[in-house]
Amino acid sequence: MSVAQDWLDSARERVRVFAQYDGPFEEQADVVVVGSGPCGAVAAYELAAAGKDVVLVEEGPPFTVRDFELDGNLSMTRTMREGGLRMTRGTRMPTMQAIALGGGSLVNSAICVRPPDSVFERWATRFDLERTDRASLDPHFDAISEFLGIAPTPDEVQGPRNLLFRDACRALGLSSEPIARNVRGCRGSGECFTGCRSRAKQSMDVSYVPAALRAGARVMTSLQVQEIRHSGRRATGVSGQVVAPFAHGAAAGAGRRGLSHRFRIDARAVVLAAGCTATPVLLERSGNLANASGQVGENLQFHPGVAIAGVFPEPTDPQFGATQGYQSLAFLDEGFKLETLWAPPPILSIRLPGQGAELVARFGEIPRMAVWDAIASANRSLGRVRARRGSLDPVLDWRLHPDDVTILRRALRVIAELFFAAGAEKILPGVAGLPEVMTDLAQTRRLESDEVRAEGLVMGGNHVFCTTRMHGDPTLGVVDEDGRCHDLDNLYIADTGIFPQCPSVNPMLTGMALARRQARVLADRL
Amino acid sequence: MLEALLLAALVFVLHRRFAADYPPAPIGLATLHRGEAAFVQSVAEVLFPGGAGLPVAGADAKLPHYLDRHLSALPRRQRLQIRALLLVFEHLTLFVPGDAPGGRRRFSSLSAPSRVAMLERVAEHPLSFVRTLFMALRAVLVLGYLGHPANLCQLGVAPFEIEPATSDAELLFPRVGGLPGSIRYEASDFAAPAGAPGAATRVHPPLDPHGPRHRAYLRAGRDVR
Repeated sequence: MSVAQDWLDSARERVRVFAQYDGPFEEQADVVVVGSGPCGAVAAYELAAAGKDVVLVEEGPPFTVRDFELDGNLSMTRTMREGGLRMTRGTRMPTMQAIALGGGSLVNSAICVRPPDSVFERWATRFDLERTDRASLDPHFDAISEFLGIAPTPDEVQGPRNLLFRDACRALGLSSEPIARNVRGCRGSGECFTGCRSRAKQSMDVSYVPAALRAGARVMTSLQVQEIRHSGRRATGVSGQVVAPFAHGAAAGAGRRGLSHRFRIDARAVVLAAGCTATPVLLERSGNLANASGQVGENLQFHPGVAIAGVFPEPTDPQFGATQGYQSLAFLDEGFKLETLWAPPPILSIRLPGQGAELVARFGEIPRMAVWDAIASANRSLGRVRARRGSLDPVLDWRLHPDDVTILRRALRVIAELFFAAGAEKILPGVAGLPEVMTDLAQTRRLESDEVRAEGLVMGGNHVFCTTRMHGDPTLGVVDEDGRCHDLDNLYIADTGIFPQCPSVNPMLTGMALARRQARVLADRL
Repeated sequence: MLEALLLAALVFVLHRRFAADYPPAPIGLATLHRGEAAFVQSVAEVLFPGGAGLPVAGADAKLPHYLDRHLSALPRRQRLQIRALLLVFEHLTLFVPGDAPGGRRRFSSLSAPSRVAMLERVAEHPLSFVRTLFMALRAVLVLGYLGHPANLCQLGVAPFEIEPATSDAELLFPRVGGLPGSIRYEASDFAAPAGAPGAATRVHPPLDPHGPRHRAYLRAGRDVR
């Protein structure tokens, strides 16, 4: 038997999936990691590689290529919490959190960006953080980049809709660059959001999770953690129930809401990596744990995003090319980042204007379309997360601050200018109260005017932060610089909830770097 | 006795207004009832008329079936929200008939011109809440209509035909719901751009932007024609 087959057989022994659970069970480990998204997967791997006995727990199932659903809408119902229909209250905005082995990495566009120094300087000065600067994190960024093959998107898989953005930036004298992604051998299928059938995207289920298994970790899927068990200042493990894949839908094969056998995992340390919206709910449900500061669930921030579709005279072959292949950081100081974007066309078309024959004719323009977006550093727009009554789903209250509306207006104007610089014949701004179609540069001034109101913006916010923020002062934050809860000796949090503020750029790489650092500290302490 | 008679009369009237006289539900629906299916079909007919450039008209796109599949996969709360949306719009014209001919009738009972007029009214309603509700309804139907394989193929934006890779995930995990014994791959089957050290890797060239599309989409597109 080959070495490869050897490790495979051994690793399969340490994986548990829904169909294997036939009764209540208990496990012991050095560390239980809750959540297999980018942060949890990195933490599990690092701890296992350090020789610790690790159990990685995931509520969702593993997806194989043949489980991917090509219809974007149906894919979301299977891979996203609340069927992909989660919304904030206050300022209404859709936000999506994945439920799958690999977490969001399975269905994101693989963007890996290191925040600029200014972000860390702001964190350090405002949140009493001494070791969370770019220089301290660079070794972790480097290690992860090498592991995942993070590299700028090559031109041959950009496709016209990404390259038009590059050309537009050049025409306006703005900096731009191909987006660095955790991808090896991208073929330009443009289907990052429904799962990469080429397996070029190095999502956690094909990278860090297998590596953790290779290092000796156990991976247990379809387990819903419902409580963090604790005694005094120590977490003693987690407990919960087995949950059927897609339990919310008709596929549920178990009891009410798909929940069945109970489980308990005792551990010397617990790492919560359930995500920025789930981790505070879990702490609240565990007796308001780790919340002497009163900061659990507070300070909720997003990178609210806005997008414009542009129609060009020539075909853009939009289905081909990296989902998000080009970006511009030229406006980071003004509070926004520009990107190209693609998604399954029916999802993008939701916001196309008109109805009847006009709407159908608009669909006919999709082959000549490109979509570019901006995400805003909305540090002033705050909210909170609370558990929904009788549920582990969160209630997300959040309001867009007027100053951040100004940033988004400016971003819309810049995107519009870029489209016309690239030769677009018209743009579809998708802003209520403004013309549905703009055909010349002069009209774009209105995008930066008071006519654009918060309730008229069509936004999305999938980067979520700060609900268990890191702060040097235990009265003002939930975790310290090592991710350890101020109130408990062995409870760690490793997800974007620990960011003290939104990072201005896509957060996955920063989250993984912090998780890697934390895991190494924890391994030394155990 | 009088109260009982009045109650029975009220139930009769409400039933006539809200639930009676719907056509039978299309075969194969698991979640949508016939009233909901009739409403979805009646919106689809006017929202996506035929002859406007795409091969499948809203009336033929089987949107009740699409929505039924979507609802079946949703959590209960979201399922209820969407069904409430259908209920509200189907019966809104009983209470707010507007000036369209036909009077106080359910949306699905209105003539096509009256349905168009009604949709235009709610799309441009001064209350943002009403507009938002309409956009939600419209979104659900756009997803199903434009997602129809024949329409995507016509636009050249159907998914590409791609030979699925065999990565560590396919080697390690069964398909969703399956047992590990159902995994049909061994280490030697590995065929993905990256994976276990020492494994043979296979990197394919970039796709041809005009290359073949997913066979299931092509087949569905041909079936329509």
